[in-house]
Amino acid sequence: MDAFQIFLNTLSPSVLIIIFIGVLIGIIVGAIPGLNGAIGISLLLPMTFALEPQIGLLLLGGIYMGGMYGGSITAILLNVPGDVVAAPAAMEGYPLTKQGRAKEALYYSIFSSMFGGFIGVIILILFTPPLASFALKFGPAEMFFIALSGLVIIGALGGNLYKSAFAVLFGLFISTIGVDLIAGSERFTMGSADLRSGISVVPVVLGLFCLAEMFLNIGKKSNEVTTYKDQSIKRMTVIKDIVRQKFLVLKSSFIGTCIGLLPGVGTTLAVFMSYGEAKRVSKKRDQFEKGNTEGIIAAESANNATVGSSMVPLLALGVPGSPTTAIIAGALIIHGIILGPSLFVQRPDVAYTFLYGMLLTVVAMAIIGAVGIKYFSYILKVKMEYIVPTVLVFALFGAYSLRNSIFDVFIAIVLGIVGAIFKKIAVPLAPIIIGVVLGPLIETNLARSMVIAEARQLSLPHYMLSNPLAIFLLVMVAVLFVVVIKMRTKTE
Amino acid sequence: MKRIVFLLVLALMLVVVAACGSDTNQEASGNADENQQGSNVEENNQDSTVEYPTKNIQIIVPYSAGGGGDTVARILADALSEELGKQINVINREGAGGEIGIAEMARSEADGYTLGVFGYPDNFVLENTRDTDFSFDSFEYLAAFDDMPMGIFAGPGSDFETIEDLIEFGEANPGSITLGESGALGLLHILAFSDIIGVQTTPVTFSGGGELMNSLLGNHVDLASTSSMSHDSIVDAGGHPIGFAAPERMAMFPDVPTFKELGFDLEMGVSRVLVAPTGLPEEVKEVLTTALDNIGNDPALKERFEAAALPYRYLGNEDVTEFLNRSNSVLEPVIQQNIDRFKN
Repeated sequence: MDAFQIFLNTLSPSVLIIIFIGVLIGIIVGAIPGLNGAIGISLLLPMTFALEPQIGLLLLGGIYMGGMYGGSITAILLNVPGDVVAAPAAMEGYPLTKQGRAKEALYYSIFSSMFGGFIGVIILILFTPPLASFALKFGPAEMFFIALSGLVIIGALGGNLYKSAFAVLFGLFISTIGVDLIAGSERFTMGSADLRSGISVVPVVLGLFCLAEMFLNIGKKSNEVTTYKDQSIKRMTVIKDIVRQKFLVLKSSFIGTCIGLLPGVGTTLAVFMSYGEAKRVSKKRDQFEKGNTEGIIAAESANNATVGSSMVPLLALGVPGSPTTAIIAGALIIHGIILGPSLFVQRPDVAYTFLYGMLLTVVAMAIIGAVGIKYFSYILKVKMEYIVPTVLVFALFGAYSLRNSIFDVFIAIVLGIVGAIFKKIAVPLAPIIIGVVLGPLIETNLARSMVIAEARQLSLPHYMLSNPLAIFLLVMVAVLFVVVIKMRTKTE
Repeated sequence: MKRIVFLLVLALMLVVVAACGSDTNQEASGNADENQQGSNVEENNQDSTVEYPTKNIQIIVPYSAGGGGDTVARILADALSEELGKQINVINREGAGGEIGIAEMARSEADGYTLGVFGYPDNFVLENTRDTDFSFDSFEYLAAFDDMPMGIFAGPGSDFETIEDLIEFGEANPGSITLGESGALGLLHILAFSDIIGVQTTPVTFSGGGELMNSLLGNHVDLASTSSMSHDSIVDAGGHPIGFAAPERMAMFPDVPTFKELGFDLEMGVSRVLVAPTGLPEEVKEVLTTALDNIGNDPALKERFEAAALPYRYLGNEDVTEFLNRSNSVLEPVIQQNIDRFKN
């Protein structure tokens, strides 16, 4: 009854308006290259101080949800993912756009995001306590194996095997720059304080995906896509097709949910893992990277599923697992709300309004997305000579705004040039990003395992495989490795 | 059709400019204003009165949004901007454990329009363990607002109930107790703690507070070294504090013993300070310290800090400088003894 009352309160006009505004802002910042949900949230954080805590939280939650989807719009239409998590959407969606199926790709993207987001939030509402204790089981050893499985899945992505291997090594190399977290020694920093803190993922993504694409488009007068006539497609057709592939949606949302639970792992891994997995089992594997809607479904449902699950450790244990949830935690702290199990006892109004409100953010996202698609696709009518400078400005601006750092802009430009060259010689770019994201995870968790094993006077393998979960994960990595290798030899 | 596209692009641009204006516009227009300001100051100097503040002020925070230091900066920005009647923008400039943001504060112009908030002794540990572009004297310490002791916490179901359990086990098994930390101060605290209780421990470094908490609550490390701010979350999840490195028991947590009363002379904590680069004009400093004293002694600010689980303690310009100098002389030998643990 009490919970029902809170649910009714959630439907009040002021809450609904805030949710709508949040999601809209999220979609816009997500769509703009270089800006993402985390940046939108940190910009609007001061605003929430004046709002009631649950309202302010829903504003931020709406941005988080919308931001996860927004990146896919520009990814599909311009091959410029607004955010790392939209990279697979560019790989599958842009080829569709070139075939004149932009609207179809956009519909697949929004409705998969909707299903994924919905599943993530439902899991957040129903299973927070057991999932939070499950997340705690992941120590350094388990994290190491999870990150390793992400590295293996790269093999399932397309491209020449050797070029992929080169790309991932390049990414891992980038991730080693800076002060090494465990030993504290400087690597490739050349005495610069900027390099000491390492190269963050955002300027790398902006350089490789946005700037590189734009550099290659310089000199083109018209958008090559405009020569195709955009085919119309009914929304229901797409929804029916997604529902028909419920197993794919459920599996991808499941992967997104699980990875989202783990602190410090991030959405990128979730997205690429479910994308790689979708490709691995697909009957139409050869169509991947030529415009396969299965890839879009997998990636998009996975990234929105992480939104709900990444809040599980935050609400249940006060453990913020990602930069975005850390900012949301900050918004709660300033209102004097202590995160942890007692949150649901002490401030049920805040906790439950937030949970139910997150469901509504999914609805708002679906409405804005489904209605907006007609207008989004007008971007294709814009001439390339306008798009190139606009995207360049936004991308450089986005690189700057991450840490208010001109150095990051420089990094983005350098990697833009590198990315353009790699595209010309057909080196795949996605593995580079995965390398950059996973490098620190693999390294620091292995180093931590070594430190702890020594303290406990165990050998490293003995410590790392001291519980069933770790053994299960290791077996999973090994099986995945064999399967991916087999898959490669079959296709080649 | 073209019009719609144009409108769409325009709307996008507007949102971006509006959303991000707080940083960039600030800097762009700030530069123009600065020149003007410079000539104003010269003119005004002849009348020996300085108009301050005449434009918006920015506060640099060397940490990412959402943490304790950021929260302090935002509460202060809000209160100070009401007091001074100018907008104050908080700019997060994180990286390299705070080094990048603190260096930027030191580099900025000492005109009172760029201030900084960081957690002392981050700057002191950094300058003593790395080759930094700033030193303790790079800053004018205007005020300190909180006093948050470091603590040692045990996870759920830990065998270590009290510090005696810890010492007993640690003496029998040197090096086998794992202590998690994130950040230079956390490590320093572990080293000083181990020294003082005479037990060899193994510090384990985590990249952030979230990862550290997860490892403590999941029993992947035996203990964690973190500030009193984490007390409630840890206790809620079934863990418990061993003790705080505080001078006396905290009003917020009267049940938690201090190391001092347990017989170990260890005091270490974070104090968020508001600083300006050295060389601030006397008149500007006067305006700022008066304003800070006003808000600092206002019970409303204390309430806001305590609501956010930040133990409030205001120290004005003179008190804070004296306090920090005293604290430096305590910390320096600890850092020097353990310098090889910081490697750099």
